[in-house]
Amino acid sequence: MSDKNKSTAHNDSRRNFLRQSSALTALAIAPQAVLKAAEGKMDEKIAGYFEKMPLSIEVNGKMHQLSVEPRVTLLDLLREQLHLTGSKKGCDHGQCGACTVHVNGSRINSCLSLAVMNEGKKITTIEGLAQGDKLHPMQEAFIKHDGFQCGYCTPGQIMSAIACIKEGHANSEAEIREYMSGNICRCGAYPNIVDAIVEVKNAGGKL
Amino acid sequence: MEKQFFFDADTPDPDRVDGRAKVTGSARYFAEYTLPDMTYGVLVTSPVTKGRIKALDTKAAEKAPGVIAVLSHLNKPSVPGYEAPPAEGRGPGMRIFYTDKIYFNGQPVALVVADSFERATYAATLVRAQYEKEEFRTDFDANLDKAVAPRAPGAAEYKRGNIDAYKNAEVQLESEYFIPTEMHNPMELHGILAHWESPEKVIMYAKTQGVKATQQTVTNLFKLQAQNVQVFSEFVGGAFGIALRTWPHEVATVMAAKMVGKPVKLVLTREQMFTMVGYRPQAKQKLGMGATKAGILTGITHEAIGQTATYDEFTEGIVNMTKFMYACPNVNTRYKVLPLDVCVPIWMRGPGEATGAFALESAMDEMAYRLGIDPVEFRIRNYAETDPQRNQPFSSKYVKEAYQMGADKIGWSKRNPVPGSMKNGDWQVGYGMSTGVFTAGRGGATVRAVISDDGMLLLQSAVSDIGPGTGTAMVKIASDLMGMPFEKIRFELGNSSLPPAPSQGGSSTLSTVGSAVNDACLALQEQLAILAGQKTFAGKTKQDIVFSNGRIGLKNEPASAIGYAELLRQNNTPAVEVTKDSRQGEAARKYSIYSFSIHFVEVNVHPATGVVKVTKIVSVGDAGTIVSAKTAASQMIGGAVGGIGMALTEEAIMDHRFGRYVNHNFADYHVPVHADVPHVESLFINKPDPIINPMGAKGMGEIALIGFSAAVANAVFHATGKRIRSLPITPDKILQTKAV
Amino acid sequence: MNFEYVRASTAAGAVSMLAKQSDAVFIAGGTNLVDLMKRGVVSPMRLIDINTLPLKEITLSGNKVTIGALALNSAVSEHPLVIKHFPLLSYALKAGASQQLRNMATVGGNMMQRTRCSYFYDTVMPCNKREPGTGCGAMQGINRMHAIFGSSENCIAVHPSDMCVALAALDASVIIRGAKGDRKILFTDFHRLPGNTPEKDNNLQPGELITHVEIPVNAFQQHAYYLKIRDRASYAFALVSVAAALEMQGNKISKARLAMGGVAHKPWRLTEAEAFLKGKEATETNFKAAAALAMQGAKAYEHNSFKLQMAPNAIAEALKKATSKA
Repeated sequence: MSDKNKSTAHNDSRRNFLRQSSALTALAIAPQAVLKAAEGKMDEKIAGYFEKMPLSIEVNGKMHQLSVEPRVTLLDLLREQLHLTGSKKGCDHGQCGACTVHVNGSRINSCLSLAVMNEGKKITTIEGLAQGDKLHPMQEAFIKHDGFQCGYCTPGQIMSAIACIKEGHANSEAEIREYMSGNICRCGAYPNIVDAIVEVKNAGGKL
Repeated sequence: MEKQFFFDADTPDPDRVDGRAKVTGSARYFAEYTLPDMTYGVLVTSPVTKGRIKALDTKAAEKAPGVIAVLSHLNKPSVPGYEAPPAEGRGPGMRIFYTDKIYFNGQPVALVVADSFERATYAATLVRAQYEKEEFRTDFDANLDKAVAPRAPGAAEYKRGNIDAYKNAEVQLESEYFIPTEMHNPMELHGILAHWESPEKVIMYAKTQGVKATQQTVTNLFKLQAQNVQVFSEFVGGAFGIALRTWPHEVATVMAAKMVGKPVKLVLTREQMFTMVGYRPQAKQKLGMGATKAGILTGITHEAIGQTATYDEFTEGIVNMTKFMYACPNVNTRYKVLPLDVCVPIWMRGPGEATGAFALESAMDEMAYRLGIDPVEFRIRNYAETDPQRNQPFSSKYVKEAYQMGADKIGWSKRNPVPGSMKNGDWQVGYGMSTGVFTAGRGGATVRAVISDDGMLLLQSAVSDIGPGTGTAMVKIASDLMGMPFEKIRFELGNSSLPPAPSQGGSSTLSTVGSAVNDACLALQEQLAILAGQKTFAGKTKQDIVFSNGRIGLKNEPASAIGYAELLRQNNTPAVEVTKDSRQGEAARKYSIYSFSIHFVEVNVHPATGVVKVTKIVSVGDAGTIVSAKTAASQMIGGAVGGIGMALTEEAIMDHRFGRYVNHNFADYHVPVHADVPHVESLFINKPDPIINPMGAKGMGEIALIGFSAAVANAVFHATGKRIRSLPITPDKILQTKAV
Repeated sequence: MNFEYVRASTAAGAVSMLAKQSDAVFIAGGTNLVDLMKRGVVSPMRLIDINTLPLKEITLSGNKVTIGALALNSAVSEHPLVIKHFPLLSYALKAGASQQLRNMATVGGNMMQRTRCSYFYDTVMPCNKREPGTGCGAMQGINRMHAIFGSSENCIAVHPSDMCVALAALDASVIIRGAKGDRKILFTDFHRLPGNTPEKDNNLQPGELITHVEIPVNAFQQHAYYLKIRDRASYAFALVSVAAALEMQGNKISKARLAMGGVAHKPWRLTEAEAFLKGKEATETNFKAAAALAMQGAKAYEHNSFKLQMAPNAIAEALKKATSKA
């Protein structure tokens, strides 16, 4: 947060850009009334409307048709709009792994992914693992091996741990440690987490 | 599940009672509550280190989409508690948005409130401030001469026997040690969600180690009735000390919520976590140590200077351990603080004792090598059987056993003691050890216990759980006493409306609240016995009644026993409730009550690249009775991991031309990752302390970390012959330090 | 952050979209761009999402392997063609970031990643790269992570990539699409030294899009090693890294390729050391001599003098590891 930013100028030129542009994706979804208002004086409310984009996204097996600002990250979409708060914000810059979710089966940091970049994708979060009351084997193993203390990094650790095995990167404790290093745990539950992953890996079940 | 037997040693070790919530993502931390009409706050911070705000232009921000208000010193609502002059002897304090004064770089100067997080974030970039800059001092090393005696009573000096007696010893050592500023960096970002339900009533979802403490602070600041200030903090995503006080940005959020008449949620950025929630202050220490050639300590002088802020004094027990750890006739300590134009520190796990233990336990190692005595043997030769500081017995101390356990486990005797003598391929191998100690405290707490005719036992206390597993330990204590299975017992915490308990800190929660759980359960049994005497066992008194296996019955008549639920139903009583306050008795004052830890580590050092790997860890805790083995082990493991960070990777680095940290993020401030941490053996003496509390359990949150960094530094010395006295031991230091 | 977001469906479309709007940038993985935008280091007005462009393929044709610019770091590191022909590239990729980031980051994005210099990242501090003319904060500031080679009085930042160090060593080329068609440059010519224009990290011209990286097939498979020295065991940027790729005949080095990371504004190719090693026995003495040659012209600042010791040690160590592999 700089005291010498040039954001006001930036904002004005941005508004001009919005006014002049005729090829905005946002226009395609704007209802007539909004379009009409837009032709006249463009106020902030309409600008705000234009700032939103349609987004179809599947989260934990459920389809969502949403309208979001492009600057909303996948993590903030999950937490603030879909109220799936299991995915955590620990740094917001891809430096801790607390926000780890699966996108089309692949683990990523949701804090660095703009929600709109996930159009048509399938997201799995920690809330999507258990089948009703039956926990996912990795969740069971984390409880058994006490793979957490405060619990804040835990959803990210579990999402990462499942992916780690599925990717084929859990063939030794050393390999697990390396491939889990994108998930920081400040309470220091690492050895227990490794034990949990080893157990699930050795059980050989389908994850 | 089979019912548990009263005090049965074979009762199973519980999984965490909140484990399911934590692994499914359903555990809710403060930022995960949603209130109707909730708004988002984002702070604007000062890029200037000292001075005052000359002008603040918030117009552009106020006009930005979604913005509801911009709070600053120009328009802040009145906070009655800020109107009074600051308390004597504490410095002016940080009364947020109350003046135009800037005390440190990163200080909040405005709070933007908008209807979405993104809009608030963007609008915050539109706030423009002009500052009148003043000359500032942030450089610790360059200003050591400006250190002063702390105002805190008794903190400055300590003396036993002769001052600086080490200077007359047969064998002498003088060494200087440095630890940098370390950031707690819990994974969860700090912040608060505040909402005024009426002009007289505010509720808060907070990240706090003490819901009662937060309640008290806000009650006082806003001059409200305590019962109209409600604080909820059921889950806390780590804290390690940062949530031991109510920070200015929390007060600002409460102010903002009052101003906009809607709930305001503020979550700090990771960068802001480096300047708004305290840190372990950097410290410079000098150790003078003298011993006879036979390895008997004759004098220790320990001097320390720790960083604090100009606007608030922070002190901690850097030199405490030196006063009583070893049986040395002459000990003196001097402690000073150096006020700089920085934000105020706060206790970080192990607090000052961890800082001090690095120096003392490194010096003990240096002296042992100088004397040619095994470092364990040197410690045993100077073993304090009684507390030399207070001249009274220790309540319990099994440190000799702990040395033995740890040494056996890691294979200490199999090492070649000559520094630089052991190899593993290209790697140099070294072993090091150290001791840690921390006060085993017990405060006062109140617990309400309610047993219902559905067979459930509810326990309530306004404590927090920042991660150690407080709820789990409390349920275990109650389960053992009542003979009830874990799943029939619920422990409610993190709510200021519950019976009072102190903040979670200083390794005292289990001792303090556990004792109250113990006493409440005993009181409950007494009430159940009275109830039973009315009808079920008419005419019988509690002397005739026994509790066993979760049942109540007549002595010597096992067949008479019935379950609690049945007892209540038979007597038409839906529930029995007791509330017990519990605190330590006077008798305990005749004892020095401490928890101890011994750390053994093996390191591998790569001489060409300077890389250090901790390859084996054995930590032994002398922490009295272990209530919950699994969570206790996790605490010790966690301390070791924190210790690896302190020893090898962690350092907050400031550019003193600007007064700004240059590594205020998780990419550049290195906390240990999975790949840094080997398997950790945590062992416990597990013998009850006869004095501290009914469970015989001493605390262990701090000892898990205290001393650990010295064990690593000592192991690095053994591996390489390089004595590194400045943490963290990064590869560059290995390369640039000469072997002795 | 405040920006327009559009999706490009063809490379030509993407290039023309970028040409139309001067304050627009491409976004692929976003792992660096979103980070920088959140910190206010860059504030593009328009993001052109290129993720749907068909640039993910990794193919072998003739004597070269072509990698699409949108191939993910994780996918490249585990692709059979890469593992078979360029294990060095695989090692380097796996040494960078975390698996989550590697699952997002692309080859092109990795090449475009900005420096991690603290002064570049903090908009309050001076930085010629971020705001030309404000001065170099690191020069007299905290410069432990900074360059020892090729810096200028305007900038002493280093390029943070591991992948790029391997690609520089492997004689890769970059295929670039512009409004006027494709062009191809050597990978070692892609990144720049700071000189008087530290704001320019590379030689990409306005409106251009990286489409592919080409690597000639070589015979370094048996003797490739990527050594990365960092402040913690994983998930940290390099203090110093060395990519070593060798061809050996018995104990004799017949061909050597060496590059370093963490020491310069661009991946630092060690051509003198390579030339020296050609035809030499794989001995510690020769490794040290090569390292000494590589260190000629190195210059340290207040906090990074350790690199003058660490870098040659690292070169010798990487050579030792690479030559002992078989």
